[in-house]
Amino acid sequence: MFADEKLINVPFDVYRYDASRGGEPRYQHYELRLAPHTPILTGLLRIRDELDPTLSLRYSCRSAICGSCAMLVNSKSRLACHTPVGPEVREHGRIVVDPMRNQPILRDLVVDQQPFWSRYEKMEPHLILDPKHPMPEGRTTPMSPAQVERFKETPRCISCAACFSACPAVEADPAFPGPMALAKLYRFVVDPRDTAQTHRLRTIQTEGLWLCLRCHLCTEACPKDVRPSERIRDLKELAVQAQGGTEAGSRHAIGFLKNIEERGTLNELKLVRQTSGVTGLAASLPQGVRIWRKKPEVTKSPPPIEDLDQVKKIYAALKDEKAEES
Amino acid sequence: MLKHDIVVVGAGLAGQRAALAAARAGHDVALVSKLHPLRSHSGAAQGGINAAVGKEDSVETHIYDTVKGSDYLGDQDAIEFFCQQAGPTVIEMEHFGTIFSRSDDGSLARRAFGGAGFPRTIYAADRTGLALLQGIYEHLGTETIRIYEEWFLLSVVVRDGRVQGITAFDRKTLKVEGIEAKAVILATGPFGRVYGRTTNAHSCTGDGVAAAYRAGAALKDMEFVQFHPTALMESSILITEGARGEGGVLKNVNGERFMARYAPHVLDLASRDVVSRAIVTEVKEGRGFPGGFVHLELMHLGKEKVETRLQEICDFSRTYAGVDPVTEPIPVYPAQHYMMGGISTNMKGEASLIGLYAAGEAACVSIHGANRLGGNSLLETLVFGKQAGLAAAEFVGTAPDPEIRDDDLDKETARIQELWNRSEGESPRALRAELQQTMDQLVGIYRSPEELYRGLRQVRALQERYRNVRVIDRSTTYNIDLTDALEVGNLLALAEVIVVGAIARTESRGAHTRLDYPARDDKNWMKHTLARWTPNGPELSYAPVAYTRWEPKERVY
Ligand SMILES: Cc1cc2nc3c(=O)[nH]c(=O)nc-3n(C[C@H](O)[C@H](O)[C@H](O)COP(=O)(O)OP(=O)(O)OC[C@H]3O[C@@H](n4cnc5c(N)ncnc54)[C@H](O)[C@@H]3O)c2cc1C
Ligand code: SF4
Ligand code: SF4
Ligand code: FES
Repeated sequence: MFADEKLINVPFDVYRYDASRGGEPRYQHYELRLAPHTPILTGLLRIRDELDPTLSLRYSCRSAICGSCAMLVNSKSRLACHTPVGPEVREHGRIVVDPMRNQPILRDLVVDQQPFWSRYEKMEPHLILDPKHPMPEGRTTPMSPAQVERFKETPRCISCAACFSACPAVEADPAFPGPMALAKLYRFVVDPRDTAQTHRLRTIQTEGLWLCLRCHLCTEACPKDVRPSERIRDLKELAVQAQGGTEAGSRHAIGFLKNIEERGTLNELKLVRQTSGVTGLAASLPQGVRIWRKKPEVTKSPPPIEDLDQVKKIYAALKDEKAEES
Repeated sequence: MLKHDIVVVGAGLAGQRAALAAARAGHDVALVSKLHPLRSHSGAAQGGINAAVGKEDSVETHIYDTVKGSDYLGDQDAIEFFCQQAGPTVIEMEHFGTIFSRSDDGSLARRAFGGAGFPRTIYAADRTGLALLQGIYEHLGTETIRIYEEWFLLSVVVRDGRVQGITAFDRKTLKVEGIEAKAVILATGPFGRVYGRTTNAHSCTGDGVAAAYRAGAALKDMEFVQFHPTALMESSILITEGARGEGGVLKNVNGERFMARYAPHVLDLASRDVVSRAIVTEVKEGRGFPGGFVHLELMHLGKEKVETRLQEICDFSRTYAGVDPVTEPIPVYPAQHYMMGGISTNMKGEASLIGLYAAGEAACVSIHGANRLGGNSLLETLVFGKQAGLAAAEFVGTAPDPEIRDDDLDKETARIQELWNRSEGESPRALRAELQQTMDQLVGIYRSPEELYRGLRQVRALQERYRNVRVIDRSTTYNIDLTDALEVGNLLALAEVIVVGAIARTESRGAHTRLDYPARDDKNWMKHTLARWTPNGPELSYAPVAYTRWEPKERVY
């Protein structure tokens, strides 16, 4: 139990910005004395109560179930109500709080979640039934505990977007659905009641499945242990199986190319370089990912891509590869 | 002016189910919510949803248990309908896509809950609310419904006794808008935040109930406040009754399983009011642990069971209380949990104003009477959410066109402007903290007339100070200083109704325990309290309880 914990000094540096009024973003410093187990959310609410009522954030349940309070805590995507202050102060000496990444900042710690939800909605996130096989009248569909197991931890997802904020592929390519949306897709693909598995798997093949970098940053960020990166791996396997395909690597390239051709975005090419031929976490952690780990600069939009030439070369190389294949 | 046939305010389980029913009936439906629908407080429900679907169980015993649990204040016709709908409702949610826990034979798994004759509570691990909320939200996506996401309800507009729509603002822009509608369904959930020690989310501030009250609708049975026996110390985060349903036991400082003295037959699974009173008594009489709590032990259930069936409970205990339930007892004490009272409706969800409907925890039908059984309120949101949606759909076919006028909007804009214009004044959060302290200390589980009167004086003094409340933040986007102020105003209005009702009811029934009137008084008090707004405080009247077949008996567990 947390009895007799000594209070510690907790310095907060909190991102402040108001899109409705413009101006420059800045960090504001606050200090509180708190018990080490105190959740960061409690600290932020104390700041509002005692020091500064103008600080804005989303929160509701204070128990890691409503998914409102994801933000960056010392550069990592975390739920404020599920992250105690003590270890942060011990490790970093202070608590830097920023709004989540990959979503436009509206005010202070509040972001516009449209990019997150619109990708989720593209997954057709509802049971698709075959009219010829309706649900059993007047009773539930039988489902064994083993079938429930197949959902893995995906039903625990609280849509907090911490994974979305942590994901480098989301930042690099607007076509990438992001970890939560893909974990959601997995949840429908393994659902014995759903009848659109083939359709779902075929669609996602060309709609960004292969853009995942396998960096596992989503899994590291998820407060509910949903493990999106592992479910994405499962989806890739299922997708290849469904098409009787074998060469996952080439699908990689096909997926990328289609994307580049259709959308013509530049950022994603940075990804290609990281992804091609990369397998594990360690190998996929060069350049791009380091950007994410570093303390974020105070910017209103993600930093621009640095290396256009490189990008074009990869694009050309991929085209060649495709031509050889066919 | 924005316009729809039907406006549903609140997108928890009740609001979404109402919107679904109304849209399916072919109407243009708007769903307004201050939170994204998936962030609604329904998602926090842990333990499960009741339906007598097991072979050994029956709808009849579910009805009986609910009537008895209500301490005979529930309307028996509504309870009969409610329990009959339980099976079909759960099946429907399964068909919508909800992922429930299953037994080996592929049927829905069930667990025991307090006050129930059989294991009747269907669940999804210990996150049943989230599973249901996801299921219905996914299904709702297949209908055409306009969602006003993160819009905040200000008022229900009523003219000539008829509802004309609502006023609300988009939290992104703070522009006050009118939404005209022939019917308004309020499903804005609970108001547990009148208390400090509460399992409810910060957003549970009764905005819809307060708006209905100010618009002239009657509130019902507001003095009945349920305290859940097992909330974590400090944070008051809930430890589900399902933990005891799985075999968890309560112990006092002497290691004694004290529930044996209070409910010799069902022990730890007695009704919530009974267990909460027992814990308070143990602590008061010196048998609590230092710091004032008792222990909930799960250790004997084994790591496997605790970590799979009570996964969230493990996380909550570890993160918020610093204990591992696999190896250590969990320190618990009662906290406010559920409001039996709310906007008075009948079985169809109709409130006392023409065109006004309510469902879910914001409403009072009443099926819970003086004490709700665990697992019955998730069911209530769905059964009566659908009822309200259907009734509103039927009503709008013949209703005249609604009209919101400029002065309806001006009034609300002026209200906000006034909060801003004060150069000095009270902090909404300071007022909220004082209100919560008052309610925790003076209007809790055991109620004495002295404390209740003191509570009323304090609440009224706070209302007076609220007239001078001030909003410092001037931003027009996500201004939570402003929403704090509006919410505290709502909490203060509702707290007064709770206390006034509690003072008037000179008996003990269900969750309402008067030290000076320790017995239930069926001769004088077998009736619902109704409260209406007046400039001088709530005006009380009483309405009969509907009976069908169950004679009041003494409640023993
Ligand atoms: C921790 C906890 C556990 C529980 N466990 C169980 C259980 O196991 N079984 C059971 O049967 N019951 C349980 N309950 C009770 C049950 O969860 C609730 O009674 C039920 O979910 C309420 O649902 P609702 O749809 O009425 O309201 P909510 O889900 O609270 O939804 C309210 C909606 O109204 C909206 N709203 C509020 N104010 C405004 C405003 N001003 N403007 C616009 N929108 C607004 C919100 O955004 C939200 O969408 C539990 C309750 C708690 C607190
Ligand atoms: S593993 Fe894939 S989905 Fe997860 S963060 Fe990395 S790129 Fe994004
Ligand atoms: S997968 Fe995890 S991190 Fe992502 S939205 Fe769901 S709960 Fe949040
Ligand atoms: S406040 Fe609900 S998840 Fe943190």
